[in-house]
Amino acid sequence: MAYLESSKKFDPVRPGEQWFFYWKTSAALWETRILQCPVHEVIFLPLYWGFHAESSTEWDFGKVRPERDLLRLTQLLTQHGRKFCWLLPLTPAPFMPNGGIPVSVARVLSVGKSGVHLAALDQEQNLNKMFSFFEPKVFPSFASFLQAFGTFLGTHKVKAPLWGCQFFYSQDGETSSFLGDSSLAFEQGFSRFLRKAHPEGTDLTDPRSESELKERFTGEVGQLFSSAAESALGPFWAGHQRIVILGAAPKETILRSLPTGKSQLEYTRDLFQHFVNGDQVSSALLTPEEKKESLQWILSEHFGARTLELAYKLVPTVSNPDEDWRPYSVADLYSGEHVDHFDKLGLRRFLYRNYRWLYQNRESLEFTPEAIDQSQHKIKFFNGSSLTRTSFAQMLKLFMLGQRVLLDRSGLGEGHEKRLQLFLLENSIRMQSVNFMTATQICELGDGRLIIFDGAPLRENPEREKFWNHIFRYLSFVQPEVQMDDDVFGLWRIRPTAPHELSYLDVRRVNLYNPTSYKKAVSIRTHRQFAFMKMIDPTRATARSTTDGVEVELLPNGKIALDFGHYEET
Amino acid sequence: MSLKLIYHFQTSQNQDQEFRPASYAVIYFFSDDGFLDERQLRELAKAIPNADHEGLTFLNLDDLKSFAARVGEELAVREVRLISVQDYNIGIDGAKDLATFTGVFEKYGEIVVNETVKKKGLFGKFFT
Repeated sequence: MAYLESSKKFDPVRPGEQWFFYWKTSAALWETRILQCPVHEVIFLPLYWGFHAESSTEWDFGKVRPERDLLRLTQLLTQHGRKFCWLLPLTPAPFMPNGGIPVSVARVLSVGKSGVHLAALDQEQNLNKMFSFFEPKVFPSFASFLQAFGTFLGTHKVKAPLWGCQFFYSQDGETSSFLGDSSLAFEQGFSRFLRKAHPEGTDLTDPRSESELKERFTGEVGQLFSSAAESALGPFWAGHQRIVILGAAPKETILRSLPTGKSQLEYTRDLFQHFVNGDQVSSALLTPEEKKESLQWILSEHFGARTLELAYKLVPTVSNPDEDWRPYSVADLYSGEHVDHFDKLGLRRFLYRNYRWLYQNRESLEFTPEAIDQSQHKIKFFNGSSLTRTSFAQMLKLFMLGQRVLLDRSGLGEGHEKRLQLFLLENSIRMQSVNFMTATQICELGDGRLIIFDGAPLRENPEREKFWNHIFRYLSFVQPEVQMDDDVFGLWRIRPTAPHELSYLDVRRVNLYNPTSYKKAVSIRTHRQFAFMKMIDPTRATARSTTDGVEVELLPNGKIALDFGHYEET
Repeated sequence: MSLKLIYHFQTSQNQDQEFRPASYAVIYFFSDDGFLDERQLRELAKAIPNADHEGLTFLNLDDLKSFAARVGEELAVREVRLISVQDYNIGIDGAKDLATFTGVFEKYGEIVVNETVKKKGLFGKFFT
């Protein structure tokens, strides 16, 4: 019993994010471990496919080793009313020995961008080394597993969704796939790819073209693993997930091995950057010592069960619009493949200074009624050069649905430019032209605003922050003003008003965290548009009301949540 | 405190009809407290002739060693261990857990001693 009690604090079988590492414990203990999982939480089962290899072509699901008995595992889960999903790695997985592949095909270690082998320290301080997926024996082994697993699922009618997962690490502001490799296996595979794609030969003296071809080759191999999985497991296939594994980067492995380790502040900074990027994260590698206080709070409060359920489409986008707290942000940035586009225009810096953590980078526009409804209040920024025909049309539809849309027309294709002019003409859109730092057209249609600007002059303009200031002032954006140091972090949420709160338009909550070893002060100005309602769960923190708003004091590793009612402007 | 530097040897290249000589690039430079500040390192690299201080790249191993010694002197650390990426990778290949991984930084590479930083003698330890 003492073991079970202490396992609540450190449990290698349940490392985080509701994952269940079935291979890390005796099958006899599965039932006990399952009962420790909250009933309402979905359990995610990462598939350690290498673990099931009895030989290079034979796969065991329990006949040889009980720890491989996935049928028994799923029966226990079902018997105890636990919903579950499979997570199938489509890249090396740093939380599994050998990156998850069978020992027999683990031949060539993966090499990262800086030339070092990719390896990560897990919760139990084992060093998991990634092996190259470009080694020719890996894919046939994977395909063989897929066939066997597909047969297993079909035969036993295991009804659970299966997600193909690509794992990433983040280092120096860049997110990289674990599939990425520059080992000998990769180079040999790349040579074969070049010979096939360009039998007449190709000129690789230009490093840029070599880099592009290598990227294309890596993408095609990734696609090979992905499409093989989707094809073999079709009836159960639910889609793809991209997951960033905290603590997995080569630099982090070194940092985590040092006496001081990686600090709470550094992890928090990373986590918030992932929030802005809309990344799904996993803390499966982190030890209890690393995942404490600030980090643990942020993970459970903002990357917890509800966030997971939404990411895996286990619940509708808005389950109970009258009660739910939803993440709140003011802007979505759609930069397309030029991920630094809005950095170059100074928009990201402006948002960081004035609306920190209140914006998100989006890879693609989710154009469903629920998503449109949920993001109605957000300002949407589009990079014209990255728009497809579909996304261009969707952007205009958002404007017509009353949303606020900003379009950088620099780089907009000729076809889109003509369509835009035709759209404005045919719909008799009211327009005004302004020239402040750059040519800007402001279009109005009911509540909708479409602001078309030329981003090019803003790139080199040191005063461009004034432009964004004007834009946000014009859009009359209303939000409490928060003044805090760079190493204090806060996330906002919003919910509709309750029957006794009818004097408010909505209620907003800010969760503030201080992951440093210093006392920090935060000042929140309500500008007479918000009323401070209450503070929730202060831990080593205090708040006091002032005439301007609220003054908060956060002690080292302190946190607090504050609710504000939003008044209608009179 | 100890300092470790992991470097990558890059062979000479011909790019866009421009010849780039072989070089030694700093990949990671860290102490027991974490990675060293890159801005500071770039500043210190300016003291090494012909070095690309922005990219922390040096023309030869002696220059790299001089840079390492310079950083050690700045931080009052006598010894800096230089580990090539090849050796680091060999170390990772043989490591299986935290203990054997940290052992890589004691087992591989060569030590550059900064003679200007005095070694603490028996009596010296009493007076710090």
